[in-house]
Amino acid sequence: MFRKVLIANRGEIALRILRACRTLDLEAVVAYSEPDRESLPVLLADEAICIGPADAKRSYLSAPALISAALVTGCDAVHPGYGFLSEDENFAEVVRAHDLTFIGPPPEVLDRFASKEGTRRLLADQGLQTIPGSDGMLRDDEHALAEAERLGYPVLIKPSAGGGGKGMRMVRTSRELESAIKVCRSEARAAFGDDSLYLERWLEDNRHVEVQVAVDRYGHGIHLGERDCSVQRRHQKILEEAPTPALSAAARANLAELAVRAIVAAGYENIGTLEFLVDPDGNTYFIEINCRIQVEHPVTEMLTGIDLVALQMRIAAGEPLGLQQADVQSTGHAMEFRINAEDPAHDFRPAAGHVERFHAPGGPGIRLDSHLYPGYNVPPYYDSLLGKLIVWGPDRETAVARGRAALDELLIEGLTTNVEVHRALLRNDVFLEGRMTTNLLDRIGSAAFLAAAHA
Amino acid sequence: MSDADVRDPAERAADHAGIGRLAEGLVPALIARLSSSQLAELEVQEGDWRVRLRRPAVPDPQAGKGTSDRGARGPASHEAHGHTRRAGDVKRETRNQGDGSSTNGAGGPRSGSGRDAATRAVATSPAVGVFQPGSRSVAGTTVRAGDRLGVVDLLGVPQDVLAPADGVVGATLVEAGTAVEYGQELVRVELAVRPEGD
Repeated sequence: MFRKVLIANRGEIALRILRACRTLDLEAVVAYSEPDRESLPVLLADEAICIGPADAKRSYLSAPALISAALVTGCDAVHPGYGFLSEDENFAEVVRAHDLTFIGPPPEVLDRFASKEGTRRLLADQGLQTIPGSDGMLRDDEHALAEAERLGYPVLIKPSAGGGGKGMRMVRTSRELESAIKVCRSEARAAFGDDSLYLERWLEDNRHVEVQVAVDRYGHGIHLGERDCSVQRRHQKILEEAPTPALSAAARANLAELAVRAIVAAGYENIGTLEFLVDPDGNTYFIEINCRIQVEHPVTEMLTGIDLVALQMRIAAGEPLGLQQADVQSTGHAMEFRINAEDPAHDFRPAAGHVERFHAPGGPGIRLDSHLYPGYNVPPYYDSLLGKLIVWGPDRETAVARGRAALDELLIEGLTTNVEVHRALLRNDVFLEGRMTTNLLDRIGSAAFLAAAHA
Repeated sequence: MSDADVRDPAERAADHAGIGRLAEGLVPALIARLSSSQLAELEVQEGDWRVRLRRPAVPDPQAGKGTSDRGARGPASHEAHGHTRRAGDVKRETRNQGDGSSTNGAGGPRSGSGRDAATRAVATSPAVGVFQPGSRSVAGTTVRAGDRLGVVDLLGVPQDVLAPADGVVGATLVEAGTAVEYGQELVRVELAVRPEGD
């Protein structure tokens, strides 16, 4: 195991990693940018080091600054958290070149899974069903029309490069396809310098279900069940839960086993998440893999009692998993509410500011992972996540009831947050019946969704 | 690359007028406002100019150590700390956003931006790394703003530590070969006295 870990991230995940280090009796150094000087992980850390200014490119995204910080503080490992450099194979490589351990998959593994299109093919070869798509990249309009005809409308036009929804369009007819394809090409060219496009069959009313896996250096892998992340707004998850109400117990077990078998065969290492779309008939389609600890990992921790960050560190240190599949027992039902500093009544506009008052909820099955404290100034430069409220109950009904009570008890004054959206979700019939799809919020818009909940 | 060198005289004159207006009118007013409040930072923007005043984040008793040991300080004591800052410790910073060297909209002080009570400025570290003072960092040396006082070694790449203002080098706060963090105070510069006063 390492001796001292540089925490190369901020906010709630920096705090989460700090806690894992303390549990494992490891020293930790929190790397921070100037505006984060008075953030909770910095204040709670035994040691902290300023690595640069607010601009993430010169701090949390600066490999030289982070590695220099690790070296001058005598660290022997770097935990990248999520976002920033967490899945950057070049960063992982440079970390290793300085005799430091990157807490995540080794650079070769990150490299192998870096391309979405490549990963799709890699895992399709290992038996995972992917969404039916065009035969490679679209050569011209004629090819596009023929492939769309073969797949069946509606289809989704996707750029091979980049992400974030740019250059992506759903089309329902050949006429729409012909006009949209020009727009998508120019958008993709402008955004990524690459205008290659491909098609995927559009899944109406899909649900998002992901499988948590852990694989050690010796090729031994287990799954830790799945999570349902169907509640989203514009491809951003806001509420996650497990088990998923979308699948039967047998189907869930089957999906998780398929996923872990495929990912071990594909040569993965460390913890990771395989994301799937589930259609209304219960068919599952692999879409992508996340090679990092995820925001929603506590949902799985609540069900299994396994500390995923500690597990991640042990795997990175070269320890064998020490767990068999049968050792992973899931109990009850858990939900995570992402608490964001944003205004749901105004299209989720980010809302930085000063935390006037703050109170964390408590009681059985309640967990709050947050870097907030009274008097904290939320800087405007970064992600709007203020924390995660996680609730556990022996069943979904109890988890919902505890969620309602905890959301009512949570007090954050001075900032606009999305807590109202979570309250509305827990009053929404579609959600309460477990029938939510990824378009639940976007279909009617968040303001209308809130208004409907109050009616 | 730098637009500052090729700007036309009218623009420069306008800038100088702007600086004068800020220094004589706005900055003193802002200092008074900041001193009488419990705010940590004030920032105003007018046209291309931005003025930000900050209280020092931490009166650093550990200048000279590579990293800050914060174990003893929890959020509660931190809060109290925020209210005990002395008004006299206000740091001043004026920056032209149009200047090619500071196009970063996110802001934040950089090398050589810290000033103390208008008589002293402090050169700060441009990076996290190991500090090596240069020949111009010897106490008593007369320096111009922008002179190199030393370097911070960032993984083998030297990053210049620049004099924040015209003046005379005072104390070097960190020994050669010490690990420093970004923004750490390194070398004091006693400001040159301006004959016309202000």
